[in-house]
Amino acid sequence: MAQHGGRKSTKRKQVDEEEHPQDLPRNGALEMLTDEEDAGDASSDDGQVDKFPEIVAESDSDNSELGEESDGGDGEEEDEEEESDDDTESDDSLHVFPQAKVVISDITKQLKTVYPEIEPDYDSDSSTEDPPNRVGNIPMHWYDDLPHVGYDMNGKQVLRSARGDELDKFLATVDDSSAWTSAFDKNTQSDKPLTPEELDLIRRLYAGENPDATYDPYEPTVEWFTGEGKQEIMPLSGALQPKRRWVPSKWERQKIMKIVRAIRHGRILPSKTKSTSKFEPYAIWSEPSSSQPPPLPAPKPRLPTNAESYNPPEEYLPTEEERKAWEEQDPEDRERDYLPQKFPSLRLVPAYDQFMKERFNRQLDLYLAPRVQRVKLNIDPNSLIPKLPSPNSLKPFPNYRSLQVHHSGNRVRCVSVSPDGAWVISGDEAGVVSLWEINVGREVKRWKFEGKIGALGWCPRTDVNYFAVGIEDAISFIIPPNVDASVLSLTQSVLAPTTLPPPATTPSPVKWVTPPSSSWSLETPIVTIHLPSTSGTASNFSWHRRGDYLASVSTGGSVWIHQVTRRHSQAPFKKIKGAVQAVLFHPLKPHFFVATQQYVRIYNLSEQKLVKTLLPGIRWISSMDVHPSGDHLIVGGYDRKLCWFDLELSDKPYKVLRYHSRAIRSLQFHPTYPLFASSSDDGSIQVFHSRIYSDLMTDPLIVPLKILRGHYVVDGLGVLQVKWCGKHPWLVSSGADGSVAVWCS
Amino acid sequence: MEPQATSQPVVFTTQTQYPLPTQKFMIPTTWKRYQLSQLVNKALSLDKPVPFDFLVRGEVLRGTLNEWCAEHGIGEEETLEVEYIESIMPPQKMSDFPHEDWVSSVSCKILGHFTTASYDGHIRIFDYSKQLISSTMAHAAPITSVCIISSENESTYIVASSSQDLTAAITQVTLSQSPSTPSTSKVLASLHLHTSTVSSVSSNPLGTHLITASWDGLIGVWDSNVPSSDEVPEPTLTERDRKKRRRVDDGSKPRRKAPLNVMKSHTARVSKALFGVGQEKKAFSCGFDSTVRTWDTEYGVCEHTISASEKPFLDIALTPDGNSALAVSTDRTMTLYDLRTSQTSLSSSKASFSHPATPSCVAASEANSHQVVTGGYDGVVRVWDLRSTKGAMATCKAWEGTKKVLGVDWRRGVVGVAGEGGLEVWKVGEEAS
Repeated sequence: MAQHGGRKSTKRKQVDEEEHPQDLPRNGALEMLTDEEDAGDASSDDGQVDKFPEIVAESDSDNSELGEESDGGDGEEEDEEEESDDDTESDDSLHVFPQAKVVISDITKQLKTVYPEIEPDYDSDSSTEDPPNRVGNIPMHWYDDLPHVGYDMNGKQVLRSARGDELDKFLATVDDSSAWTSAFDKNTQSDKPLTPEELDLIRRLYAGENPDATYDPYEPTVEWFTGEGKQEIMPLSGALQPKRRWVPSKWERQKIMKIVRAIRHGRILPSKTKSTSKFEPYAIWSEPSSSQPPPLPAPKPRLPTNAESYNPPEEYLPTEEERKAWEEQDPEDRERDYLPQKFPSLRLVPAYDQFMKERFNRQLDLYLAPRVQRVKLNIDPNSLIPKLPSPNSLKPFPNYRSLQVHHSGNRVRCVSVSPDGAWVISGDEAGVVSLWEINVGREVKRWKFEGKIGALGWCPRTDVNYFAVGIEDAISFIIPPNVDASVLSLTQSVLAPTTLPPPATTPSPVKWVTPPSSSWSLETPIVTIHLPSTSGTASNFSWHRRGDYLASVSTGGSVWIHQVTRRHSQAPFKKIKGAVQAVLFHPLKPHFFVATQQYVRIYNLSEQKLVKTLLPGIRWISSMDVHPSGDHLIVGGYDRKLCWFDLELSDKPYKVLRYHSRAIRSLQFHPTYPLFASSSDDGSIQVFHSRIYSDLMTDPLIVPLKILRGHYVVDGLGVLQVKWCGKHPWLVSSGADGSVAVWCS
Repeated sequence: MEPQATSQPVVFTTQTQYPLPTQKFMIPTTWKRYQLSQLVNKALSLDKPVPFDFLVRGEVLRGTLNEWCAEHGIGEEETLEVEYIESIMPPQKMSDFPHEDWVSSVSCKILGHFTTASYDGHIRIFDYSKQLISSTMAHAAPITSVCIISSENESTYIVASSSQDLTAAITQVTLSQSPSTPSTSKVLASLHLHTSTVSSVSSNPLGTHLITASWDGLIGVWDSNVPSSDEVPEPTLTERDRKKRRRVDDGSKPRRKAPLNVMKSHTARVSKALFGVGQEKKAFSCGFDSTVRTWDTEYGVCEHTISASEKPFLDIALTPDGNSALAVSTDRTMTLYDLRTSQTSLSSSKASFSHPATPSCVAASEANSHQVVTGGYDGVVRVWDLRSTKGAMATCKAWEGTKKVLGVDWRRGVVGVAGEGGLEVWKVGEEAS
């Protein structure tokens, strides 16, 4: 027992020694042995069977047999014989596991397996041990200060055994050489010699060694993963599993409990059951194809041509010079990267020396050269053009030249149409003013003046009939011939009343001169206004709609407003910022437009103040005209721009048109039709449709209608002035080529 | 298939004096006008061959029938109705009468003579031998139109003229019978009504009445009698005028005549007014207000108005049967209006003839109600057949097509062309019907 007690405590071994004589049955000769029995016999022969002591302790009577077998040599108790006899009734008692026996059932007369009964008595438990002092397995320190050491089964005090004094101890050590190696055992209340194992343990502790005697600090390394034949082939290893594999993790539990608590408190809502398991059908082909273009196919390598043949036609073969030139060229500059060669037969063709290089270059080209499919903007260019009505639906507008009147080559600076739309006057730079019918073009009357004719303006009054001619620095009023007598007399009385109005109190530098009535004739002007000689040529006239006021602008930049009935001229501005280009009376309000080089200013004449300043953004304004409604203004500039202003809206142009290729010279709104025209130095006249809606929310509609060409550009000057015929959509234009044209619808 | 084998069923109709029996002809499609004309001549077995022109659906056949069918998508089994008219001979220029100034109007009414009105205020009469027989200073201002009212005898004529000096004048012209006696002329009366240029004057066929149109929108109706005294008083002269006028003797002064009736309905310039043909009391006028108006001259009311859209009319002419009017406008069209249906239908424009330039004047043939001539500002006089709207039947270029034509008159196969370059006379054959 001591030999295999390495796996048992010393105490246990003692217990075994005391108990076995009672527990283990004696089984001397047994006939009925199974194969296992043989094995048991074999092991008993060795006396080394030490594998089942645990099982012996667990299992009751069956295991005793084994123990008996091992202890067979020293077993001597007789009372065990009886029990073993009981056991031998069942043949299987010698087996480790309960031996089943096959009997014939009384009821069925069939074979049946019967297992032995299990007797749960106290003897079957090997743990019952009888301590010598019988006080029980109690902590002895309870009774340290008491005279007894406990109670026996009958409740009597068990008195502490007598102990010798110090002298006895001494004597004992003298007598017994082993007394110093014994210790007092409280349980047994006696000295007990320490076993050699215990002494060895003490020695080890004392020496500071590992208390386990069997522990070998120098045992050879077990090669689990390395070494011969231990290479890790399978992921499974024979290594000991770490503890964490089977011990539940404390931290995981805490984490889980936190989540569980949160779920219980409702802080975490378990998500709705997803129907992930369900397969939702969908139409694969119905979804729109990707907007991305499909990957571009790699460009195909060029196919060989005749020149690359091993036997090319003669004309492909390079001459000696060509060959030399090719060889001298840099490879990048070569037109082609090979030279045609001729071989007499295919068998003589050598390996292609450029093969690798060519392949490599092709690979480079395939994956390094970016290949982008240029997506053209698929915009219909017509859709970008604003929807404008067709010019045919906007008829009538002038679209052909009906007739032409020539001024013998002199530049016709100005033209004017009579208010009834029947007569036209045109004045050229040679001083000739010509009166002709708008329909026939026959010159009816001609006046010759000294100096250039800078401006012409027919008085808008219908009850009188005269026009103003700006000749250099004078303005003359002329009555046309063949006027009705009543109109003529009224005109004469307006222009040259018999009793002159009282002269203005303030002296004016402007002189009104009327020749004596006896010398009146059709040839001479009835009234002449002499502007100050420094003012320059009168270049722009604007009649007030009532026909009483005539505003004139001279090339010197001075502005004068002439009142015909009072025969008085006044300068409305004391000082003018910038050179005035054009002036206009507002058709309805007492407003006055003044266009300087870059700005258009609107003055209120009755209140004598500036109303508005318009910023056309034109570098040099050439002309302007106001719409008959008085709410819109067009301004043309020498930098080709035409600005449309909505006077109600803003001081910035509503629209800027830049259709002319040269400077704009003149523009005018038609007084009745929704038309306006602009003339330019490029020799063309452009006619626009301009509808203005009474609804303030609708923007004006401007439609280019027609480009009228017919005037020649002479010395960089084209069409100098355009004027509309008041009653019809007819246009009169005067050009630098000395012609005046009438454009009819 | 050979082109010769195809043929087209054709029915010939005509309004000429040479009718064919209504019968279907199978005409080879390669035939042109010449073959068709020969066919008609042969079928009628005329003594003297008459050239014909052929109208297919309002268009003059210029090429072969085949070409025409291909152009219009006509199948060969469709029956074509082909109208034939007498051909117009290509116009021939007979002579020209150069003037110093523009000639605004011409009249060929006097047999063997041409009467022209010029912008220098003279009424001139030429005979066929290009001789200026008479020249009358009728107005101080340009004359816009002239018409022959009547003739008292073979050598004395009453001529009316309108002018830009706001009046029209009645002038008596006595033509000299022999070179020795110079012709005399005298302004008998001046017609005072208008306050603006008188654009036209014309008389009724009998010469009893005159009608004037003016730029002031008024139409005056006058009788052609010369009053014995001024019907319209002289304007009250101012002091200084009176001094001037004193020197003028008033023995031969023309009488100032007042209108019988003033017709006022036009809203703009009246460019032409004339009396109806065969209807005594009717007058027609056209104006810049894009209307053609029918007037009752007796009561001076507008009977009917034909309104066009944006067509300022420059001239109007009536066909000899008086059923339709032709008006030319500045939108380069000549429009045919049916005056009979004008009472009922809203717009009675039947056909429109477009010109490349402004047509300024129109004159209808005296004899034929299908033919008119128009003169344009491009200097071309066009002869139209009203049944063919697509193109002019013939053109004649006056003054090499550089100068404006202002007036035309077509009588007795002679077209007088007045214009910038004076007067030209062309021979244009009139179709007799």
